[in-house]
Amino acid sequence: MGRNPTLTFDRGTLILHPPPHSKAWIDYATWDDRVEKFRIPAIRYRCLVEALQAEDTNFTDEAKGFYPLDLVASLEMTPYPHQNEALAAWKLAGRQGVVVLPTAAGKTYLAQMAMQATPRTTLIVVPTLDLMHQWYAHLTAAFPDADLGLLGGGSRDQTPILVATYDSAAIHAETLGNKYALIIFDECHHLPTDFNRVIAEYAIAPYRLGLSATPERTDGKHADLNILIGREVYRQGAEDLAGKALAEHQIVQIKVKLSQLERERYNQLIQTRNDFLRQSRISLGSLQGWQTFVQMSARSQVGRRAMLAHRQAKEIALGTDGKLRILMDLLAEHYPARVLIFTADNATVYRISQDLLIPAITHQTPVKERHEILTKFKEGEYNTLVASHVLNEGVDVPAASIAIILSGTGSAREYIQRLGRVLRKGNIENKQAILYEVVAEDTSEEGTSARRRGERSNEPQRCEEREEKKEKKKDRKGN
Amino acid sequence: MLPTELLIHRQNGEEIIPKRLKLDQQHLCLANNLIGFFKEAVGKSQGVLERQLADFEGDTTDYRMKRGLAYILKSSFCTFEVVSPLEPPMLRERVFAFAAKSVPSREATEVTLSKVADELSQQLQQEVLPIQVRDGLYADLSENKILTAFEAPKPDDLLHRYNLSQVQGVFYKASQLVLNAHRNVPGEYKLLFRYLKLFRLMAYIEGDADHGFTISIDGPTSLFTPSTRYGLSIAKMIPALLHVTKWSLAATLQTRDLYTNEWKPGRFTLNSECSLVSHYPKGKPYDSMLEQSFADKWDSLKSGWILEREVDLIPIPGSVMIPDFRLVHPDGRTFLLEIVGYWRTEYLQRKFSQVRRANSDSLILAISERLNLERAGVKLNDFPARIVWFKEKLLPKAVLAVME
Repeated sequence: MGRNPTLTFDRGTLILHPPPHSKAWIDYATWDDRVEKFRIPAIRYRCLVEALQAEDTNFTDEAKGFYPLDLVASLEMTPYPHQNEALAAWKLAGRQGVVVLPTAAGKTYLAQMAMQATPRTTLIVVPTLDLMHQWYAHLTAAFPDADLGLLGGGSRDQTPILVATYDSAAIHAETLGNKYALIIFDECHHLPTDFNRVIAEYAIAPYRLGLSATPERTDGKHADLNILIGREVYRQGAEDLAGKALAEHQIVQIKVKLSQLERERYNQLIQTRNDFLRQSRISLGSLQGWQTFVQMSARSQVGRRAMLAHRQAKEIALGTDGKLRILMDLLAEHYPARVLIFTADNATVYRISQDLLIPAITHQTPVKERHEILTKFKEGEYNTLVASHVLNEGVDVPAASIAIILSGTGSAREYIQRLGRVLRKGNIENKQAILYEVVAEDTSEEGTSARRRGERSNEPQRCEEREEKKEKKKDRKGN
Repeated sequence: MLPTELLIHRQNGEEIIPKRLKLDQQHLCLANNLIGFFKEAVGKSQGVLERQLADFEGDTTDYRMKRGLAYILKSSFCTFEVVSPLEPPMLRERVFAFAAKSVPSREATEVTLSKVADELSQQLQQEVLPIQVRDGLYADLSENKILTAFEAPKPDDLLHRYNLSQVQGVFYKASQLVLNAHRNVPGEYKLLFRYLKLFRLMAYIEGDADHGFTISIDGPTSLFTPSTRYGLSIAKMIPALLHVTKWSLAATLQTRDLYTNEWKPGRFTLNSECSLVSHYPKGKPYDSMLEQSFADKWDSLKSGWILEREVDLIPIPGSVMIPDFRLVHPDGRTFLLEIVGYWRTEYLQRKFSQVRRANSDSLILAISERLNLERAGVKLNDFPARIVWFKEKLLPKAVLAVME
């Protein structure tokens, strides 16, 4: 008598050995000469098992590392009709598929409903640390007894319910692959990249839910979601939430003069940069001009010097001491109201945090600490918070009524998001919010501010900011 | 190894030529300067070191090369540690909660820092200064970590390491590597396959000792589609390969065409004449004294059989068996010899099941009589290999007897 066929998980693949006598499974299998056994892509686990069962083939499943959970929810809301409909459609499609809902339509709660309907080990994949925090906060409230952990942003938990960033989940795809029955892909348009898709491909998870407001990708790869998650099972168009959810607000712009010393240094640096630009006949007024500047600066010493001067000038405008004095003024004026401070760079965030002992959040803040800081801010134990770009998406801070932008980029989207955050009504009636914008006078920053408020559109400058972000990212990685 | 953005190579037609620094006065001097900065930075923060390095970079255009060298020093020769009176997250919680009770200002900061310092001094039974609280607040940020130890390499070692890292970087984009190896000693192969296993790579082996072996290296899912997923592991294996004496390799690379954004396959080749220097420890020439003394005695026997260390690799599904010796007679007969000395039960079980699966009729197994095969659950009926039993030492005569 031969041994019973056994299915095992091997680093993102399945091995079925010895081969069963039935036939249907062979459609999924490829002979692997290296081990002299049949190998099957992990993503085919469900089809394979169903095929084996359909033919009454006996086999031992050692691949399956997932298991049922007792999920008792302490957070129950009455679902919106669209949440009920979406859940029903997903279940009907065999618990595989993509749900398209507009932002703020309660995707997290829908996911919670899907988890309660499929109570098994679950992996939730999210694109940013902010969203990771948001999911962690929600799930802690929803399932207080569950063993909940994080992968990414400084955490490396191994828990039956795990919230991971796409980055970390992709890095650990080989080991995560057989541990979860349900995978929820938040903002699932991030999945079909060369690097991220292995999260779906190396996983045996029979149940998959993709969530997105905009699944479409310019490279057309969203079609791959059909294979990686499942087809689109539900779609609801965007509703106009503006006007209802936003509070009344007032915008105050404050101009700061550079100090004598700063001004001299600033002019000198701009001079260095402009001399080079003139010699090389580059005009920064166009997208091409900026790109040429970047290229030239990598080739010659003069060019590199000009680029460094450009950056230093910018730093002076962003971080002038005058701004800090204004900041202290504003903080004193509004104490003890809840105030959010935004800056463009981490160095300034930490400088403010250290000088004024204000809690800080940047991309370097571990997610659990970030969660605690935001909780304390909401509860009023902290009344000030300083953050860099990282608070841009998806985190509500309804308690805040004052925002101070110390420096920022010209992107209108970021401006509105920052504004919207402070101005979310929350439970407070007649909330009058104020947004301060502190800008250095007679520097390139004034233009940035104008663009931010949509007064002037200037594409090339925006490109410059994007390019600089990329460069900084590179610098960070290099360190 | 280096992050992608510090890799430098030039393209000559289809050929990729990674950056290679000559070990000349100029580069040795540069390496020496950098090592000097690190030596001086011991006891200081990473931020101080970074600023020193940035000053050294200045406005020179070869900053990527300098960053690459510094990166290697930072990642392989330095220990950075968090220095703070209390775990920084706990310290922050305490300081911020205290500070939130008053309007933020520079004066309030002074007050808070000294209050918290007093509290901590009492609690920890040692003096904590306000400045230590301030510095400890974000001591866990990488720029504030303290360089506590630096094991300075020699300048030429640093350059060798850099050159090797640049070559390793080419393999990040590799989807498969085909290795041709010829007439190498078993210890070298053993080391190579140990690393293959460590980095979770898979190998497919073809060939024999006389004509050389072709070893194809990739990973589990490569069976379905070529993937650069295993490129990093392949790169990590390269230093182990440098300890093998005679080989050449060709890697298939997957790169994106900058203009069409389509995948296009590339090729990179390397061989044992590349004069790169490995920093991985070398394998031992012999696994045990037993093997060595056997080899020493063989020649005095004058049997006509030549004892070779350049052995056959015997592929077994999912693994490989690397015998200790190969015995070659001028008339063309060959045998492989594996010495099984004193080992743990599991090792023995695995070894015997390997031999069964290898099913090679030219294999001789020399087994120590001290091994209790019965207890290890090994049965020798229908065993495919020839067996020589030995007590303390394996005598060449006994092996000769089973061959002739």
